[in-house]
Amino acid sequence: MSENNLHNEQKLLNLLEKKFILKGGSVRRERRVEVKVEPKEIVPVLLYAKENSGYTAFTHMSCVDWIEDGEFEVVYILWHPEEKINFFVKTRVSRDNGTLPNIDFIWRQANTYEREIREMFGIQFEGLVGREEFILEDWEHMPPMRRDFDTAKFVEKTYFYRPGREDAKDVREYVQERTDEELPDFAKKYSRD
Amino acid sequence: MAFFDLKGLLSPITGLKQFGKKPHTIMFPDVAEHASDRYRGLHFNKLDDCIGCGNCSTICMNEAIDMIEIEGVEGKKGDSGLRPRVDNGRCCWCALCVEVCPTGSLSLTKDYIFVTPDADDFLWTPGVDNKENGEQIISFHSDKETSLSDYNRIPMRELDGSERIKSFAEAVLGYNEEEARKEAARCISCGLCTESCPDHMHIPEYINAIARGNDEDALRIIYDNNPLPEMCGKVCTRRCEDVCAMTHRGDAIAIRWLKRYATETAENAEITRQIVNPEIKEANGKKISIIGAGPSGLTAGYYLALRGFDVTIYEAKANAGGMTFYGIPKYRLPAESLEKQVSYMQSIGVKINFNTRVGKDIDFKELYNNSDAVFMGVGFEKPWTLGITGEDLEGSLQAVTYLDVINGGGEMEIGNKVVVIGGGNVAIDAARVARRKGADVTIVYRRRVEDMPADWEEIEGAEDEGVHIMPQGIPLEIIGDKNGKVIKLKFARSEMIPDPDGGRPRPKQIEGSEDIMEVTSVIGAIGQEGDYSFIPDDMKDQIKIERGRFVVNEDKQTTLPRLFAGGDSANRTADAISAIADGFRAVKAIEKMLIK
Repeated sequence: MSENNLHNEQKLLNLLEKKFILKGGSVRRERRVEVKVEPKEIVPVLLYAKENSGYTAFTHMSCVDWIEDGEFEVVYILWHPEEKINFFVKTRVSRDNGTLPNIDFIWRQANTYEREIREMFGIQFEGLVGREEFILEDWEHMPPMRRDFDTAKFVEKTYFYRPGREDAKDVREYVQERTDEELPDFAKKYSRD
Repeated sequence: MAFFDLKGLLSPITGLKQFGKKPHTIMFPDVAEHASDRYRGLHFNKLDDCIGCGNCSTICMNEAIDMIEIEGVEGKKGDSGLRPRVDNGRCCWCALCVEVCPTGSLSLTKDYIFVTPDADDFLWTPGVDNKENGEQIISFHSDKETSLSDYNRIPMRELDGSERIKSFAEAVLGYNEEEARKEAARCISCGLCTESCPDHMHIPEYINAIARGNDEDALRIIYDNNPLPEMCGKVCTRRCEDVCAMTHRGDAIAIRWLKRYATETAENAEITRQIVNPEIKEANGKKISIIGAGPSGLTAGYYLALRGFDVTIYEAKANAGGMTFYGIPKYRLPAESLEKQVSYMQSIGVKINFNTRVGKDIDFKELYNNSDAVFMGVGFEKPWTLGITGEDLEGSLQAVTYLDVINGGGEMEIGNKVVVIGGGNVAIDAARVARRKGADVTIVYRRRVEDMPADWEEIEGAEDEGVHIMPQGIPLEIIGDKNGKVIKLKFARSEMIPDPDGGRPRPKQIEGSEDIMEVTSVIGAIGQEGDYSFIPDDMKDQIKIERGRFVVNEDKQTTLPRLFAGGDSANRTADAISAIADGFRAVKAIEKMLIK
């Protein structure tokens, strides 16, 4: 990969660095540029990318739960159809009552992604119009894509075991039966669930 | 805006340019559909690569995977014999099971069509239900590089080779807390290792305790069936690590080093006792005599004492530990470490009579008649000789004798050009000790380096310290000067002849390859055997010995009912952990025989 190949990628980054206050930005590799911004910069950066830089296509929007930092990271992925470059815009909000600006006036289809993220993570988007329920029906637990949602526990409570699964074995106990290992009770809390 | 939009009028006509072009759609079902390369369809499992660790079943948040017995799959060491079965009614094709599969046997395929007349029939055994075509259509498979599992061991810090040969300081430095937590967190807790450990230690549990930061619990779990864990933590042959699930695509969990870490958190015998805090049963009045304070004797002594027996160990030498004291060099297992473990045992009531050789200082028959049971952990202390001319010369000696003298705190003149004959751990130990004493050392072994029975880490360690290894060398004659002192070794080179029966290749001397090297001493390290002369002649008929070892049953009971045996003189594996296992098994049997 020659440096010349990264010309367009670097150009976008340089422009953004001049115009906006970025929290971070890099050319990750060929055809991938990434910037990190504060939530209030989201709309200006996306509008600028769409109207001035040719990133006309909105490809995707997703969310990552950084539970250790107490934050969600929302990622907007744009596409430049001519230069064939993916542009990632990342922003972080608090896990508690985090709110982001609504961007469905820039790309209409963002509405769907925002409703999904609202339902799955519990992030609010200012002025978002659309039914509160998206995929989940009568959901009464915490948003299920949060990492502190205990999926296994929910599954255990909600679903029954299909008949025919009674022959399942526990690997640790199965191997233990072949040896004469006697696991003391106080050690059992450290065995695999 | 223009009066009329020309482009808008012409647009429909541009559709004509598609005329005659190949369509993007396909004629299903005449033409097969192609899913994308990373498509996540029905599971496939390479049954031969799978080890039944159950990691897929554990990670599945939907509880969709069961581990079941499958016809034609047998369990063995390192393989539970179970295989995963998926409930497709629950599976959400997240592929976490594939991501964490340590062997990479589990994958998802491009196949997504599942037709069955039974609406409840969602159970699918990958690799069995798609045995014919599964492997050809694998799409989403486990990639070591992007896996959520960590396949690389936290490296162990050790002294540099040039630094090591300056003294007998311990070469391996041990994990610190941060390193131990990280390494322990790599373990997937499958427990397949426990079957390979002769003593069946509770490995996943104590590693998990370390990972969760509960070192004291880890130590308690370790002491449940191994009273010499610090010794094992430093020098165990660690068969457990050979079958670790992570070895299939990466480094085994450093089980030995983690055990060492847990034991080192208790700095001395008193702290060990405070943490382990074992329950000592009330004295039951039964008297047990143990011959030999090696690993098996100490183990039997410790657990019998905890169970209320009156235990006395008779040890011929001045220190406890047997071969682990007199055979293993101090840079691998420092004397203080053994001392700490033995004094902890003494503190809970194990009596050790040092410098008391059974058969000389005390009569075996008398001991047997005065005890409710006797356990023999007498080991192999008599070295084999090479069987070549010149072995009686001054400067020709045996490795165990040499190590015995040095480890006992003595000195022995070996000169500055030493040859060690043999390829086992004892040979390497003797070579590395001689190197520390300033000698130029060559190991002569009749097979290739890869055939050496010694641990690869030991071989590497020896090379790092400047020990020269001459593989495929056969000693022929030791030559002495007129004073009867060794000056030369006559040897030949060998070639490897493949064994037609599939065994390991045998060395054959190459004609005309004889050569001579100048040496100051020759140290033989080709094996040892037991010395059972302590058993009086009138009892020898009752105690069956076969091929140099006591014949024992599963309970480590000899042909004389109240006599038990363990360690090198009773098992073929000849390592400390097997000796510990023997001692532990004998304890259970003795308790059953005398109490229950």
